[in-house]
This record gives sequence, structure tokens and C-alpha cells, in this order.
Amino acid sequence: MSDFDLDRLGDVWRQQPDPEEMQRLQRTAIAVARRARLSAILDVCAAIAVAAVVIFLVITNPQPKTVVMGSAAILVLLGSNIRLRKLRQVELKGLTGTTEEMLDQSIARVETTLRHHKFTLYGTPPVVLGSWLGFAAASAPRHDTILGGLREIPGFRPILFGAGIAAVVGLIIYLIISIRRGRRELNRLNAMRDAYRQERDSSAP
Amino acid sequence: MPPFERIVADYGPLISRIAMSYEADPTLREDLTQQIFLAVWQSLASYRGESSLKTFIARIAQNRSISFVTKQVRQPKMAELPERLEADTLNPEEEAIELNEREMLMQATRRLPLPQREVIILVLEGFSYAEIAEMLEIAPNALALRLSRAKTALKSMLEQG
Repeated sequence: MSDFDLDRLGDVWRQQPDPEEMQRLQRTAIAVARRARLSAILDVCAAIAVAAVVIFLVITNPQPKTVVMGSAAILVLLGSNIRLRKLRQVELKGLTGTTEEMLDQSIARVETTLRHHKFTLYGTPPVVLGSWLGFAAASAPRHDTILGGLREIPGFRPILFGAGIAAVVGLIIYLIISIRRGRRELNRLNAMRDAYRQERDSSAP
Repeated sequence: MPPFERIVADYGPLISRIAMSYEADPTLREDLTQQIFLAVWQSLASYRGESSLKTFIARIAQNRSISFVTKQVRQPKMAELPERLEADTLNPEEEAIELNEREMLMQATRRLPLPQREVIILVLEGFSYAEIAEMLEIAPNALALRLSRAKTALKSMLEQG
């Protein structure tokens, strides 16, 4: 390959996959499209089902408290759906734009996720500790409730305490790993964006 | 707008080659290919015909591939190419030479810096310089310079083997 002819290299590059490979690609694409369609339908069905249940509960129990709770639940559902759709649109817009725009968006997304993870990491231990202390102080032992009954089971409290600690430790480990991964991704994205900027600046007239 | 199946038949190989030029690991490449198909399927509704469908799909495939590789912790592997080539017109010896040449080309392309890789892939895919400049939103002069650097780097890598 000593001669450097891009047209000839293009011919080598654009070799068509064999029929078996083409069929595999077709199958993959059709399966992906089917899953995406199904997921979209399921999203709508789930939203309708939750809204219907909430409306049913409000109709069968038309108390002001139920109406407020029901309206709040539907608003949260709507808000979450709208947010998801907007996020998807932003992501798709990034994919159809230039690479630099896509990198800028990815950097903004990773930075936001990192901030969120850090906030959760630093906020979780005090919140969990405070909630636990508050709960322990406020709840006097009662034997006529389900929790009171459970407390009577030997070993229940240590198991519950251990499970709670394990959950918090698990969450903290997960957050630390996510933050490290996010930082690495952010470094790579920044390096790529710098490479593009450098390339652009060096080719400016 | 042609149906999705038609689009896959027409542009599936393009998507496959772009995925291959960014991801050497076959398992991860399969994942990337699926992500590109999904992104294309989701983006088709927003396609307004401002550019050709091929340009639109190539842009999505490039951007999805770049965002995919940034998520990978490890360095890109230099794996073999599992895709077989059409052997109708080639004898086994010619096929081996061509396969080797294609594999070398693909590996060398993967080692290019991203801005240069992007340009060289689009040239090898047969896009005109005007289309590439429009796709990357850069001036023709800047494109010529970037392509020249990419060609020099690619040539050097291919000569080194």
C-alpha cells in the first residue's frame, strides 16, 4: 500500500458486507426499531394506567386531600414525561448537529450528572443519620402496630439496621464509582473538544 | 421518506463501517451499531430533507460513535475484522490481499485523531468535499487542510504497517 490514492482506498473501504452480514444487520435494525416502538407504546400505556388509577381513586373518594394528592401525582407524572421528552429531543438534536455541538452538549450533561452525584454523595450520610435519629426519637415503641409487632421478632432490629447501613454504603460506593467514571468521561470529552478547537484554530485562514 | 427497512438496506453497510472505524471490539461494536440504528430511527421524524438522507445518517452515526467511545474507559483495541468481503469476483489470494488491506486501513483509521478520522471516513465513504464541509460546518479551506493532515498521518501509518 505504498501508493496513496484515496479513490482506490475508498473502493477497498466500501466493500459491501456479504448477504449473511447484511441479513444480520437487517435483523438487528428491525429488532431495535420494534423494541423502540414497543417501549414508546408501553410509556403511553403506563402513563394512561397511572392517570386512570389516580382519577378512579379521586372519584371514589372525593375528599379535598385525595383530590390534592391525585392532582399532584398526575402533575409529577406529566412533568416527568415532558422532561424525558425534552431530554431525548436535546440528545437527538445533538446527534444531528456538528461534532463540536454534540461534544459541548455531552460535556454539559456529564457536568450536571457529576454535580448531582456529588450533591447526593455529600448529602446522603447527614440526611440518613438525621432521619434515623429523628425517627428513633419520635417513635415510641408501640406493640399494636405492624412495626411494633415486627420489633418483637428476635434479631429484627439488627437485621433492619444492618440492611439500612448496607444500603447507604452501597449507595455511597455506587456514587463514588459513578463520579470517578464521570470525571474520566469528562476528561476525555474535554480532550476531544480541545482537539477539535485546536484543529479549527490551526486551519483558520 | 422510505420505510426503515429500506433505509437499513441502503445505509446499513455505511452504518456498519462507521461503527467499525470507531470500535474494534466486536461485542461493543454490536452495541454501538444498535445504538446508531436506534438514534436513526428516533431522528427520522425530524428529518426535513435539508441534506441528503445519506448525509443525515452518516452524521448521526459519526456523532453516536464519538459519544460511544468517550464512554469507554479502555483504549481502543486493534481487533480483527470479522466481516467477510464479497468473494464473487476475487480469488482466495486476491481476497486475502484485499482483506488485509482493508483491515490495515481500518486499523490505521482508528488511530487517527478524531477530527482527522471524521474527515477521512467521510472521504472514504464517497462524500464530496462540499458535502463534508457542510456536514462539519467548516470552510472548504479548513477542510482541505484537515484532510491533508489526515492523509499524511494515514499514509505514514499505512507505510509503517
